[in-house]
Amino acid sequence: MATLEHAGPGPIELSRARTGARRLRLLAWIGAWWLGGRAVVVATAVAVHYLGPAGWIRHVSHATLLGPLDAWDGRWYRIVAGGGYLLVPGRQSDPAFFPLFPVLLRALHATGIGLGTAGIVVANVGFLAALIVFYLLSRELFDEGMARRATVYLAIFPFGYTFSMVYPESIVLALIAGAALTGMRGRWGIAAAAAAAAALARPEGLFVALPLAVLAWQQRRVLTPARRGLAVGAVLAPLAAIGSFSLYLGQVLGDPMAWSQAQKAWGRQFSLFGVFHAVGHLGRAVSLDAWVIRDVVAVVLYLALLFVAARARVPWPWLLAGLAIVALPLFSGSFDSVSRFGLLAPPIFWGLAALGQDPRLNRAIVAVSIPLLAGAMVALPLQFP
Amino acid sequence: MRRGGWITAGVAATVVAAVLGAGFVVQRSVLPMPKEESLVALRAATWLQRHRLVESSFTVNGGATVTSSCLQDWFVVDGKRSRGALLRADDGYVLFAVPPHTLLARGAQGVESSSPLVLLELAGCPRVLVRRLDTLAQERQGLTLANGRLGFVLKGTHITLTLDTSSGAPTAVAVTSAKASGRARIRFVSLTPAVQRKLSTGLSGLHALNGVSGP
Repeated sequence: MATLEHAGPGPIELSRARTGARRLRLLAWIGAWWLGGRAVVVATAVAVHYLGPAGWIRHVSHATLLGPLDAWDGRWYRIVAGGGYLLVPGRQSDPAFFPLFPVLLRALHATGIGLGTAGIVVANVGFLAALIVFYLLSRELFDEGMARRATVYLAIFPFGYTFSMVYPESIVLALIAGAALTGMRGRWGIAAAAAAAAALARPEGLFVALPLAVLAWQQRRVLTPARRGLAVGAVLAPLAAIGSFSLYLGQVLGDPMAWSQAQKAWGRQFSLFGVFHAVGHLGRAVSLDAWVIRDVVAVVLYLALLFVAARARVPWPWLLAGLAIVALPLFSGSFDSVSRFGLLAPPIFWGLAALGQDPRLNRAIVAVSIPLLAGAMVALPLQFP
Repeated sequence: MRRGGWITAGVAATVVAAVLGAGFVVQRSVLPMPKEESLVALRAATWLQRHRLVESSFTVNGGATVTSSCLQDWFVVDGKRSRGALLRADDGYVLFAVPPHTLLARGAQGVESSSPLVLLELAGCPRVLVRRLDTLAQERQGLTLANGRLGFVLKGTHITLTLDTSSGAPTAVAVTSAKASGRARIRFVSLTPAVQRKLSTGLSGLHALNGVSGP
């Protein structure tokens, strides 16, 4: 008599095997784009090391093969990881740099890796995680094609060289997307942890509270009271995380708002009329440093892509969060670094993916992005990201 | 509020408290505390930064004691307002330094032979010391602290600041360079408009020390 053991794989096993194979193919596809994009960045960094330009980055950043990836703010994150926080009144100092990234650098450094290398490893592995989670979130919100295009564009986005530098952007993007994805799936405990971690790495992490709040509201009738509490907690978690940073700075430096003081010294003092100042003084800013044009172009591009995203029916909480990430820095009276800040706004890439529905545009976006990514990396020593 | 509402509020509050607590504990346990010498240097720099006028009694290379006032102020040099230091000693010596290109002097033989930098340091000129203290504190290197004395190097001069044990304010300066060594007691003085006028007038007749321009 035949037994079940001899009957070969059943439909459940077959389905599992197919799902596993599909997942593997998907991971390989994302991994390939990650590898391709990062290869462009790393190869260009090596070329910059050998051929220049020397630019404004410190000699020590030119001394090692991947030194350019360790330049600019990377030095500040390394200083915090190596020596803790210190507020120098009236001068640019390190409490402006949020603590999660230095915590990760220090944790990896404990295994014997140098802080600079640890930063590059964390940022690049974090970017692989960001691409995976961003793809899953995009697929949850849109269709497969849109998710794939958005992921490809993110992997090779010209300003995305920062994702390979000793900067926390890749980690923050992974955490923002992760918080939203887990929130959508009703796993609010994980969403709370991811949202908190995002805000502990960059202040922009705070804006994930907006899509989370709308998700929590949409799920309010199907959640038990306890899970509703978790959802509300997830919405408040980014604010609580920034509160924990203030608590820590208060204990260590005696000033809970040291991070805000330091931000002011970096020129990030927000005012209602800051945006008028930024636009009104643009001519003078350009005459002092023509690189400002790069960030102005980025702002215009990001706003246009948010508009396209709105027309492509990207959910409004995401649009609002994206707009806040792009527009709020302008209220500090400057366009500086908006090209980098915008990397943390997923709807920008969804807007680009909506444009890429046209196959010719899709090919054009990919064809233009790769050389621009290399070009932006070459210009790294000349201007901070 | 219904029971469900209380549960929701309680769980939300627990999540917020957990994030606050866990965030704090992670930062406190993983990130290193700033070094004592960095904090002490910043406290000393804050004292120096708060005052624009410092009085000093110093000796150089075992010579006579000289009393000086160092005014840290804005000066007009070549039609441009710039921050600089004006040192007036009781033996008539005047030193006027506006970085990066103005260094002028007039006066007595006694201290004139010493390097301008050594004199500015011994006079407790705030900005000269503050910038170095801030930089070294931020770099977390180049500072030593022992028995209330903070040591550091500035352009080939080794400086030791003696600090008040309770306030952390600098009270004395010792400077050693290849050619000179000196000691000074310094005290911070409130700057009044009258004192500012008195110190800033009569700057004619200064001669350039490094072939540089004057006010």
